[in-house]
Amino acid sequence: MKSRTHRRALPAVLTLAVLAVAAAGPALRAGQAAPAPRVQTIVIDPGHGGLETGAKGALGNLEKDITLAIGLKLKALVERNLGLAVFMTRDRDVDVSNENRAAIANNHKAGLFISIHANGSVQRKAAGSETFFLSLNATDEETRRLAYLENNSSELQTRIDPSTEDDLMMILWDMAQTAYIKQSGRLAELVQTELDAMLGTRNRGIKQAPFKVLTGVACPAILVEAAFISNPDEERKLASDAFQSRVAEAIYRGLVRFIRAGE
Amino acid sequence: MAANDRRRKKRAALSRPALVLGGLALVLAVLIVVFFSDGTEEKVKRFIDANVPKPAEAGGGAGPAAASRTVTLFFLADADDLLHKEARDIAAGPTAADEAERALAELVKGSERGLVSPLPAQTKVRQVFIGADGLATVDLSREFAEGFAYGSTAELAAVYAVVDTLVFNFAPVKRVVILVEGAEKETLGGHVDLTRAFLPDYSLVAR
Repeated sequence: MKSRTHRRALPAVLTLAVLAVAAAGPALRAGQAAPAPRVQTIVIDPGHGGLETGAKGALGNLEKDITLAIGLKLKALVERNLGLAVFMTRDRDVDVSNENRAAIANNHKAGLFISIHANGSVQRKAAGSETFFLSLNATDEETRRLAYLENNSSELQTRIDPSTEDDLMMILWDMAQTAYIKQSGRLAELVQTELDAMLGTRNRGIKQAPFKVLTGVACPAILVEAAFISNPDEERKLASDAFQSRVAEAIYRGLVRFIRAGE
Repeated sequence: MAANDRRRKKRAALSRPALVLGGLALVLAVLIVVFFSDGTEEKVKRFIDANVPKPAEAGGGAGPAAASRTVTLFFLADADDLLHKEARDIAAGPTAADEAERALAELVKGSERGLVSPLPAQTKVRQVFIGADGLATVDLSREFAEGFAYGSTAELAAVYAVVDTLVFNFAPVKRVVILVEGAEKETLGGHVDLTRAFLPDYSLVAR
Protein backbone atom coordinates (compact mmCIF):
# COMPACT_ATOMS: atom_id res chain seq x y z
CA MET A 1 0.00 0.00 0.00
CA LYS A 2 2.73 2.39 1.00
CA SER A 3 4.70 1.98 -2.18
CA ARG A 4 1.57 2.41 -4.30
CA THR A 5 0.78 5.83 -2.81
CA HIS A 6 4.42 6.74 -3.38
CA ARG A 7 4.11 5.87 -7.01
CA ARG A 8 0.93 7.85 -7.40
CA ALA A 9 2.55 10.89 -5.82
CA LEU A 10 5.65 10.61 -7.99
CA PRO A 11 4.41 12.41 -11.17
CA ALA A 12 3.28 15.37 -9.10
CA VAL A 13 6.63 15.57 -7.30
CA LEU A 14 8.52 15.32 -10.58
CA THR A 15 6.41 18.05 -12.17
CA LEU A 16 7.07 20.34 -9.21
CA ALA A 17 10.80 19.58 -9.43
CA VAL A 18 10.90 20.36 -13.15
CA LEU A 19 9.01 23.62 -12.59
CA ALA A 20 11.38 24.57 -9.77
CA VAL A 21 14.43 23.94 -11.92
CA ALA A 22 12.94 25.91 -14.83
CA ALA A 23 12.17 28.83 -12.51
CA ALA A 24 15.64 28.81 -10.95
CA GLY A 25 17.18 29.68 -14.31
CA PRO A 26 20.00 28.43 -16.47
CA ALA A 27 22.74 28.44 -13.79
CA LEU A 28 21.07 25.70 -11.77
CA ARG A 29 20.15 23.69 -14.83
CA ALA A 30 23.81 23.60 -15.93
CA GLY A 31 24.76 22.24 -12.51
CA GLN A 32 22.32 19.35 -12.86
CA ALA A 33 23.38 18.24 -16.33
CA ALA A 34 22.74 14.65 -17.40
CA PRO A 35 21.46 12.97 -14.24
CA ALA A 36 21.53 9.16 -14.21
CA PRO A 37 18.09 7.56 -14.64
CA ARG A 38 16.33 7.20 -11.30
CA VAL A 39 16.47 3.72 -9.80
CA GLN A 40 12.92 2.30 -9.55
CA THR A 41 13.61 -1.39 -9.25
CA ILE A 42 16.30 -3.48 -7.59
CA VAL A 43 16.99 -7.10 -8.44
CA ILE A 44 18.67 -9.21 -5.76
CA ASP A 45 20.43 -12.37 -6.87
CA PRO A 46 21.19 -14.94 -4.15
CA GLY A 47 24.05 -17.00 -5.66
CA HIS A 48 23.62 -20.69 -6.62
CA GLY A 49 20.60 -22.77 -5.52
CA GLY A 50 19.06 -26.21 -5.96
CA LEU A 51 21.53 -28.87 -7.09
CA GLU A 52 24.13 -26.18 -7.59
CA THR A 53 25.19 -25.73 -3.97
CA GLY A 54 28.12 -23.37 -4.50
CA ALA A 55 31.03 -23.57 -2.05
CA LYS A 56 30.80 -25.94 0.91
CA GLY A 57 32.09 -25.17 4.39
CA ALA A 58 33.95 -27.69 6.55
CA LEU A 59 31.14 -27.43 9.13
CA GLY A 60 28.58 -28.39 6.48
CA ASN A 61 27.15 -24.99 5.57
CA LEU A 62 26.33 -24.40 1.92
CA GLU A 63 26.90 -21.17 0.02
CA LYS A 64 23.42 -21.35 -1.56
CA ASP A 65 21.65 -21.24 1.84
CA ILE A 66 23.69 -18.31 3.17
CA THR A 67 23.25 -16.24 0.00
CA LEU A 68 19.48 -16.75 0.11
CA ALA A 69 19.25 -15.75 3.80
CA ILE A 70 21.23 -12.54 3.18
CA GLY A 71 19.26 -11.80 0.02
CA LEU A 72 15.90 -12.04 1.77
CA LYS A 73 17.14 -9.74 4.56
CA LEU A 74 18.32 -7.20 1.99
CA LYS A 75 14.96 -7.37 0.20
CA ALA A 76 13.13 -6.61 3.45
CA LEU A 77 15.41 -3.64 4.19
CA VAL A 78 14.98 -2.08 0.75
CA GLU A 79 11.20 -2.56 0.71
CA ARG A 80 10.78 -1.21 4.24
CA ASN A 81 13.04 1.82 3.92
CA LEU A 82 13.15 2.83 0.27
CA GLY A 83 9.76 1.77 -1.04
CA LEU A 84 11.35 0.54 -4.26
CA ALA A 85 10.22 -2.55 -6.12
CA VAL A 86 12.45 -5.54 -5.34
CA PHE A 87 12.61 -8.73 -7.37
CA MET A 88 14.59 -11.83 -6.43
CA THR A 89 16.18 -14.13 -9.01
CA ARG A 90 15.16 -16.86 -6.55
CA ASP A 91 13.37 -16.72 -3.18
CA ARG A 92 13.73 -20.42 -2.38
CA ASP A 93 16.12 -23.30 -2.95
CA VAL A 94 15.92 -23.78 -6.74
CA ASP A 95 18.31 -23.91 -9.68
CA VAL A 96 18.41 -20.74 -11.80
CA SER A 97 20.71 -20.46 -14.82
CA ASN A 98 23.03 -17.47 -15.12
CA GLU A 99 21.20 -16.35 -18.28
CA ASN A 100 17.87 -16.40 -16.47
CA ARG A 101 19.26 -14.35 -13.59
CA ALA A 102 20.29 -11.62 -16.03
CA ALA A 103 16.99 -11.95 -17.90
CA ILE A 104 15.00 -11.47 -14.68
CA ALA A 105 16.92 -8.24 -14.06
CA ASN A 106 16.43 -6.95 -17.60
CA ASN A 107 12.79 -7.96 -17.95
CA HIS A 108 11.97 -6.09 -14.74
CA LYS A 109 13.97 -3.09 -15.99
CA ALA A 110 16.20 -3.29 -12.93
CA GLY A 111 18.05 -0.13 -11.94
CA LEU A 112 20.50 -2.08 -9.79
CA PHE A 113 21.55 -5.74 -9.70
CA ILE A 114 23.11 -7.16 -6.53
CA SER A 115 24.48 -10.71 -6.66
CA ILE A 116 25.25 -12.17 -3.22
CA HIS A 117 27.86 -14.89 -2.70
CA ALA A 118 30.06 -16.50 -0.05
CA ASN A 119 33.65 -17.03 -1.09
CA GLY A 120 35.73 -20.20 -1.25
CA SER A 121 39.43 -20.86 -1.65
CA VAL A 122 41.72 -23.89 -1.69
CA GLN A 123 43.45 -22.23 1.26
CA ARG A 124 41.62 -22.43 4.56
CA LYS A 125 43.35 -19.28 5.81
CA ALA A 126 41.92 -17.12 3.03
CA ALA A 127 39.56 -14.59 4.62
CA GLY A 128 37.79 -11.29 4.12
CA SER A 129 35.11 -9.49 2.13
CA GLU A 130 35.29 -8.18 -1.41
CA THR A 131 33.03 -6.71 -4.07
CA PHE A 132 33.38 -7.54 -7.77
CA PHE A 133 32.25 -5.89 -10.94
CA LEU A 134 32.68 -7.23 -14.46
CA SER A 135 36.02 -7.25 -16.25
CA LEU A 136 35.89 -7.20 -19.98
CA ASN A 137 38.60 -9.60 -21.14
CA ALA A 138 37.89 -8.04 -24.48
CA THR A 139 39.66 -8.51 -27.77
CA ASP A 140 40.35 -5.50 -29.98
CA GLU A 141 37.22 -6.10 -31.99
CA GLU A 142 35.09 -6.44 -28.88
CA THR A 143 36.69 -3.33 -27.37
CA ARG A 144 35.54 -1.27 -30.33
CA ARG A 145 32.02 -2.59 -30.02
CA LEU A 146 32.05 -1.90 -26.29
CA ALA A 147 33.26 1.64 -26.77
CA TYR A 148 30.30 2.15 -29.05
CA LEU A 149 27.90 0.67 -26.51
CA GLU A 150 29.35 2.72 -23.68
CA ASN A 151 28.78 5.93 -25.63
CA ASN A 152 25.25 4.87 -26.51
CA SER A 153 24.05 3.25 -23.32
CA SER A 154 20.81 5.23 -23.41
CA GLU A 155 19.97 3.44 -26.64
CA LEU A 156 20.71 0.10 -25.11
CA GLN A 157 17.38 -0.45 -23.39
CA THR A 158 15.50 -0.05 -26.66
CA ARG A 159 18.05 -1.94 -28.71
CA ILE A 160 18.00 -5.00 -26.53
CA ASP A 161 14.91 -7.10 -26.55
CA PRO A 162 15.28 -10.56 -24.99
CA SER A 163 12.40 -11.97 -27.00
CA THR A 164 14.15 -11.41 -30.32
CA GLU A 165 15.87 -14.24 -32.14
CA ASP A 166 18.07 -11.88 -34.07
CA ASP A 167 21.76 -12.83 -33.74
CA LEU A 168 23.08 -9.30 -33.42
CA MET A 169 20.52 -8.52 -30.75
CA MET A 170 21.53 -11.63 -28.86
CA ILE A 171 25.18 -10.57 -29.00
CA LEU A 172 24.27 -7.15 -27.62
CA TRP A 173 22.13 -8.80 -24.99
CA ASP A 174 25.01 -11.07 -24.04
CA MET A 175 27.34 -8.09 -23.64
CA ALA A 176 24.82 -5.75 -21.98
CA GLN A 177 26.84 -5.12 -18.81
CA THR A 178 29.72 -3.60 -20.76
CA ALA A 179 27.74 -0.36 -21.13
CA TYR A 180 27.54 0.00 -17.33
CA ILE A 181 31.06 -0.86 -16.21
CA LYS A 182 31.88 2.59 -14.80
CA GLN A 183 28.67 2.84 -12.77
CA SER A 184 29.13 -0.74 -11.57
CA GLY A 185 32.63 0.16 -10.38
CA ARG A 186 31.25 3.10 -8.42
CA LEU A 187 28.52 0.94 -6.87
CA ALA A 188 31.13 -1.70 -5.92
CA GLU A 189 33.23 0.98 -4.24
CA LEU A 190 30.34 2.30 -2.14
CA VAL A 191 29.15 -1.16 -1.08
CA GLN A 192 32.67 -2.35 -0.26
CA THR A 193 33.25 0.73 1.94
CA GLU A 194 30.15 -0.16 3.97
CA LEU A 195 31.08 -3.87 4.19
CA ASP A 196 34.48 -2.83 5.52
CA ALA A 197 32.90 -0.50 8.09
CA MET A 198 30.29 -2.99 9.33
CA LEU A 199 31.69 -6.52 9.16
CA GLY A 200 35.08 -6.38 10.86
CA THR A 201 36.42 -8.77 8.22
CA ARG A 202 39.59 -8.25 6.20
CA ASN A 203 38.99 -5.68 3.45
CA ARG A 204 39.96 -7.35 0.17
CA GLY A 205 38.78 -4.32 -1.77
CA ILE A 206 36.96 -4.06 -5.09
CA LYS A 207 38.03 -6.26 -7.99
CA GLN A 208 37.09 -6.94 -11.58
CA ALA A 209 36.49 -10.48 -12.81
CA PRO A 210 34.73 -12.12 -15.77
CA PHE A 211 31.76 -13.46 -13.81
CA LYS A 212 29.13 -15.11 -15.99
CA VAL A 213 26.12 -13.85 -14.03
CA LEU A 214 27.07 -10.19 -14.57
CA THR A 215 27.74 -10.20 -18.32
CA GLY A 216 24.14 -9.95 -19.51
CA VAL A 217 22.80 -7.50 -16.94
CA ALA A 218 21.74 -4.14 -18.44
CA CYS A 219 22.17 -1.92 -15.34
CA PRO A 220 24.85 -1.23 -12.70
CA ALA A 221 25.66 -4.67 -11.29
CA ILE A 222 27.95 -6.05 -8.59
CA LEU A 223 28.77 -9.40 -7.00
CA VAL A 224 29.38 -9.30 -3.24
CA GLU A 225 31.57 -11.97 -1.63
CA ALA A 226 30.56 -11.50 2.01
CA ALA A 227 33.23 -13.73 3.59
CA PHE A 228 34.94 -17.12 3.08
CA ILE A 229 32.85 -20.19 3.78
CA SER A 230 36.06 -22.22 3.26
CA ASN A 231 37.53 -20.54 6.35
CA PRO A 232 36.04 -22.19 9.49
CA ASP A 233 35.99 -18.93 11.50
CA GLU A 234 34.21 -17.06 8.73
CA GLU A 235 31.92 -20.00 8.01
CA ARG A 236 30.62 -19.75 11.59
CA LYS A 237 30.00 -16.02 11.08
CA LEU A 238 28.29 -16.52 7.72
CA ALA A 239 25.92 -19.06 9.27
CA SER A 240 24.88 -16.67 12.05
CA ASP A 241 21.76 -14.56 11.77
CA ALA A 242 23.52 -11.50 13.23
CA PHE A 243 26.33 -11.53 10.65
CA GLN A 244 23.90 -12.13 7.78
CA SER A 245 21.90 -9.09 8.93
CA ARG A 246 25.04 -6.96 9.04
CA VAL A 247 25.97 -7.99 5.48
CA ALA A 248 22.47 -7.07 4.28
CA GLU A 249 22.61 -3.74 6.15
CA ALA A 250 26.04 -2.90 4.68
CA ILE A 251 24.91 -3.64 1.11
CA TYR A 252 21.75 -1.63 1.76
CA ARG A 253 23.73 1.40 2.96
CA GLY A 254 26.05 1.20 -0.05
CA LEU A 255 23.22 1.13 -2.55
CA VAL A 256 21.40 3.97 -0.77
CA ARG A 257 24.53 6.09 -1.18
CA PHE A 258 24.70 5.13 -4.86
CA ILE A 259 21.04 6.00 -5.46
CA ARG A 260 21.32 9.33 -3.60
CA ALA A 261 24.45 10.27 -5.58
CA GLY A 262 22.50 9.70 -8.81
CA GLU A 263 19.56 11.89 -7.79
CA MET B 1 17.13 -39.34 -94.16
CA ALA B 2 15.74 -38.60 -90.71
CA ALA B 3 16.31 -42.22 -89.59
CA ASN B 4 19.92 -42.11 -90.83
CA ASP B 5 20.53 -38.88 -88.97
CA ARG B 6 19.19 -40.33 -85.76
CA ARG B 7 21.44 -43.37 -86.12
CA ARG B 8 24.50 -41.17 -86.63
CA LYS B 9 23.60 -39.14 -83.58
CA LYS B 10 23.16 -42.32 -81.57
CA ARG B 11 26.63 -43.52 -82.60
CA ALA B 12 28.14 -40.19 -81.61
CA ALA B 13 26.34 -40.26 -78.26
CA LEU B 14 27.63 -43.74 -77.53
CA SER B 15 31.19 -42.89 -78.34
CA ARG B 16 31.42 -39.84 -76.03
CA PRO B 17 31.37 -41.77 -72.68
CA ALA B 18 33.68 -44.34 -74.24
CA LEU B 19 36.16 -41.57 -75.06
CA VAL B 20 35.94 -40.15 -71.52
CA LEU B 21 36.48 -43.60 -69.97
CA GLY B 22 39.40 -44.27 -72.28
CA GLY B 23 40.97 -40.94 -71.34
CA LEU B 24 40.62 -41.64 -67.64
CA ALA B 25 42.15 -45.09 -68.04
CA LEU B 26 45.11 -43.57 -69.87
CA VAL B 27 45.70 -40.97 -67.15
CA LEU B 28 45.47 -43.68 -64.50
CA ALA B 29 47.95 -45.86 -66.38
CA VAL B 30 50.41 -42.97 -66.67
CA LEU B 31 50.06 -42.22 -62.96
CA ILE B 32 50.67 -45.87 -62.07
CA VAL B 33 53.75 -46.00 -64.24
CA VAL B 34 55.11 -42.78 -62.78
CA PHE B 35 54.36 -43.90 -59.21
CA PHE B 36 56.09 -47.26 -59.49
CA SER B 37 59.00 -46.20 -61.68
CA ASP B 38 62.42 -45.85 -60.03
CA GLY B 39 63.33 -42.50 -58.58
CA THR B 40 59.82 -41.26 -57.81
CA GLU B 41 59.93 -42.52 -54.26
CA GLU B 42 63.23 -40.70 -53.87
CA LYS B 43 61.64 -37.54 -55.27
CA VAL B 44 58.72 -37.76 -52.83
CA LYS B 45 61.14 -38.24 -49.95
CA ARG B 46 63.14 -35.21 -51.04
CA PHE B 47 59.93 -33.20 -51.35
CA ILE B 48 58.92 -34.13 -47.81
CA ASP B 49 62.39 -33.36 -46.48
CA ALA B 50 62.33 -29.94 -48.06
CA ASN B 51 58.82 -28.93 -47.03
CA VAL B 52 57.98 -30.56 -43.70
CA PRO B 53 59.95 -29.11 -40.78
CA LYS B 54 61.79 -31.64 -38.65
CA PRO B 55 60.94 -31.68 -34.94
CA ALA B 56 64.53 -31.02 -33.87
CA GLU B 57 64.80 -27.97 -36.14
CA ALA B 58 61.50 -26.50 -34.92
CA GLY B 59 62.71 -26.84 -31.31
CA GLY B 60 65.62 -24.61 -32.18
CA GLY B 61 68.04 -26.21 -29.71
CA ALA B 62 71.26 -28.13 -30.25
CA GLY B 63 70.89 -31.81 -29.34
CA PRO B 64 67.11 -32.28 -29.18
CA ALA B 65 67.20 -35.02 -26.57
CA ALA B 66 69.05 -32.95 -23.96
CA ALA B 67 67.44 -29.55 -24.65
CA SER B 68 65.41 -28.01 -21.88
CA ARG B 69 63.99 -24.59 -21.13
CA THR B 70 62.94 -22.81 -17.98
CA VAL B 71 59.32 -21.74 -17.58
CA THR B 72 57.60 -19.69 -14.88
CA LEU B 73 54.69 -21.32 -13.06
CA PHE B 74 52.14 -19.67 -10.74
CA PHE B 75 51.29 -21.14 -7.32
CA LEU B 76 49.31 -19.89 -4.33
CA ALA B 77 51.04 -18.86 -1.10
CA ASP B 78 49.31 -19.23 2.26
CA ALA B 79 50.66 -15.93 3.52
CA ASP B 80 48.80 -13.68 1.09
CA ASP B 81 46.71 -16.01 -1.12
CA LEU B 82 48.23 -14.44 -4.21
CA LEU B 83 49.88 -16.32 -7.08
CA HIS B 84 53.67 -16.55 -6.77
CA LYS B 85 56.14 -17.25 -9.54
CA GLU B 86 58.23 -20.42 -9.46
CA ALA B 87 60.83 -21.40 -12.10
CA ARG B 88 60.75 -24.94 -13.51
CA ASP B 89 62.83 -26.72 -16.17
CA ILE B 90 60.87 -28.62 -18.79
CA ALA B 91 61.97 -30.53 -21.91
CA ALA B 92 62.17 -28.19 -24.88
CA GLY B 93 60.30 -28.48 -28.18
CA PRO B 94 59.35 -29.57 -30.67
CA THR B 95 56.51 -27.00 -30.69
CA ALA B 96 55.31 -24.29 -28.33
CA ALA B 97 52.11 -26.30 -27.84
CA ASP B 98 54.14 -29.33 -26.66
CA GLU B 99 56.03 -27.15 -24.22
CA ALA B 100 52.78 -25.55 -23.04
CA GLU B 101 51.33 -29.00 -22.29
CA ARG B 102 54.44 -29.84 -20.22
CA ALA B 103 54.32 -26.52 -18.37
CA LEU B 104 50.66 -27.06 -17.42
CA ALA B 105 51.39 -30.63 -16.31
CA GLU B 106 54.05 -29.20 -13.98
CA LEU B 107 51.52 -26.65 -12.72
CA VAL B 108 49.20 -29.52 -11.76
CA LYS B 109 52.09 -31.52 -10.23
CA GLY B 110 52.61 -28.67 -7.78
CA SER B 111 55.22 -26.50 -6.15
CA GLU B 112 58.72 -27.59 -5.15
CA ARG B 113 58.85 -24.80 -2.57
CA GLY B 114 55.80 -25.56 -0.44
CA LEU B 115 53.32 -23.39 -2.33
CA VAL B 116 49.85 -24.67 -3.33
CA SER B 117 48.71 -25.52 -6.83
CA PRO B 118 45.30 -23.96 -7.50
CA LEU B 119 44.50 -26.89 -9.84
CA PRO B 120 43.08 -30.19 -8.57
CA ALA B 121 45.91 -32.76 -8.36
CA GLN B 122 44.04 -35.28 -10.56
CA THR B 123 43.69 -32.83 -13.47
CA LYS B 124 45.17 -34.10 -16.72
CA VAL B 125 46.25 -31.83 -19.56
CA ARG B 126 44.56 -33.40 -22.57
CA GLN B 127 45.82 -31.01 -25.22
CA VAL B 128 47.01 -27.48 -25.93
CA PHE B 129 46.45 -26.01 -29.39
CA ILE B 130 47.94 -22.65 -30.35
CA GLY B 131 46.31 -20.91 -33.29
CA ALA B 132 47.98 -18.43 -35.62
CA ASP B 133 45.76 -15.69 -34.15
CA GLY B 134 47.38 -16.04 -30.72
CA LEU B 135 44.47 -17.95 -29.23
CA ALA B 136 45.57 -20.94 -27.17
CA THR B 137 42.92 -23.60 -26.59
CA VAL B 138 43.56 -25.67 -23.49
CA ASP B 139 41.68 -28.92 -23.01
CA LEU B 140 41.74 -30.14 -19.40
CA SER B 141 40.26 -33.35 -17.99
CA ARG B 142 36.98 -33.32 -16.07
CA GLU B 143 38.80 -33.33 -12.73
CA PHE B 144 39.65 -29.68 -13.33
CA ALA B 145 35.98 -28.79 -12.85
CA GLU B 146 35.33 -31.30 -10.05
CA GLY B 147 38.22 -31.41 -7.71
CA PHE B 148 38.17 -28.24 -5.60
CA ALA B 149 36.01 -26.31 -3.15
CA TYR B 150 34.09 -24.01 -5.41
CA GLY B 151 34.11 -20.31 -4.75
CA SER B 152 35.06 -17.21 -6.68
CA THR B 153 38.58 -17.02 -5.31
CA ALA B 154 39.28 -20.72 -5.97
CA GLU B 155 37.94 -20.43 -9.52
CA LEU B 156 39.84 -17.25 -10.31
CA ALA B 157 43.10 -18.73 -8.99
CA ALA B 158 42.67 -21.94 -11.02
CA VAL B 159 41.75 -20.15 -14.25
CA TYR B 160 44.40 -17.45 -14.08
CA ALA B 161 47.18 -19.85 -13.00
CA VAL B 162 46.57 -21.60 -16.36
CA VAL B 163 46.08 -18.42 -18.39
CA ASP B 164 49.01 -16.51 -16.88
CA THR B 165 51.35 -19.53 -17.21
CA LEU B 166 50.62 -19.78 -20.94
CA VAL B 167 50.72 -16.08 -21.83
CA PHE B 168 53.74 -15.36 -19.62
CA ASN B 169 55.92 -18.16 -21.05
CA PHE B 170 54.86 -18.57 -24.65
CA ALA B 171 55.23 -15.55 -26.90
CA PRO B 172 52.73 -16.72 -29.55
CA VAL B 173 49.95 -16.96 -26.93
CA LYS B 174 47.90 -13.80 -26.40
CA ARG B 175 44.56 -15.19 -25.18
CA VAL B 176 43.43 -18.50 -23.73
CA VAL B 177 40.23 -20.51 -23.98
CA ILE B 178 39.72 -23.36 -21.51
CA LEU B 179 37.76 -26.49 -22.44
CA VAL B 180 36.85 -29.24 -20.01
CA GLU B 181 36.99 -32.81 -21.38
CA GLY B 182 36.95 -31.48 -24.93
CA ALA B 183 33.82 -29.36 -24.54
CA GLU B 184 32.90 -25.80 -23.66
CA LYS B 185 31.74 -25.39 -20.07
CA GLU B 186 29.91 -22.28 -18.88
CA THR B 187 31.69 -22.00 -15.52
CA LEU B 188 33.73 -24.21 -13.17
CA GLY B 189 31.42 -23.74 -10.19
CA GLY B 190 28.98 -20.99 -11.09
CA HIS B 191 31.27 -17.97 -11.14
CA VAL B 192 34.00 -17.38 -13.75
CA ASP B 193 32.80 -17.32 -17.37
CA LEU B 194 34.70 -19.98 -19.36
CA THR B 195 32.86 -19.33 -22.63
CA ARG B 196 35.06 -16.36 -23.56
CA ALA B 197 38.79 -16.17 -24.15
CA PHE B 198 40.84 -14.91 -21.20
CA LEU B 199 43.50 -12.26 -21.30
CA PRO B 200 46.15 -12.68 -18.59
CA ASP B 201 45.45 -11.00 -15.23
CA TYR B 202 48.65 -10.35 -13.32
CA SER B 203 46.78 -8.48 -10.56
CA LEU B 204 46.41 -11.87 -8.85
CA VAL B 205 50.21 -12.32 -8.92
CA ALA B 206 52.41 -11.18 -6.00
CA ARG B 207 54.92 -8.49 -6.91
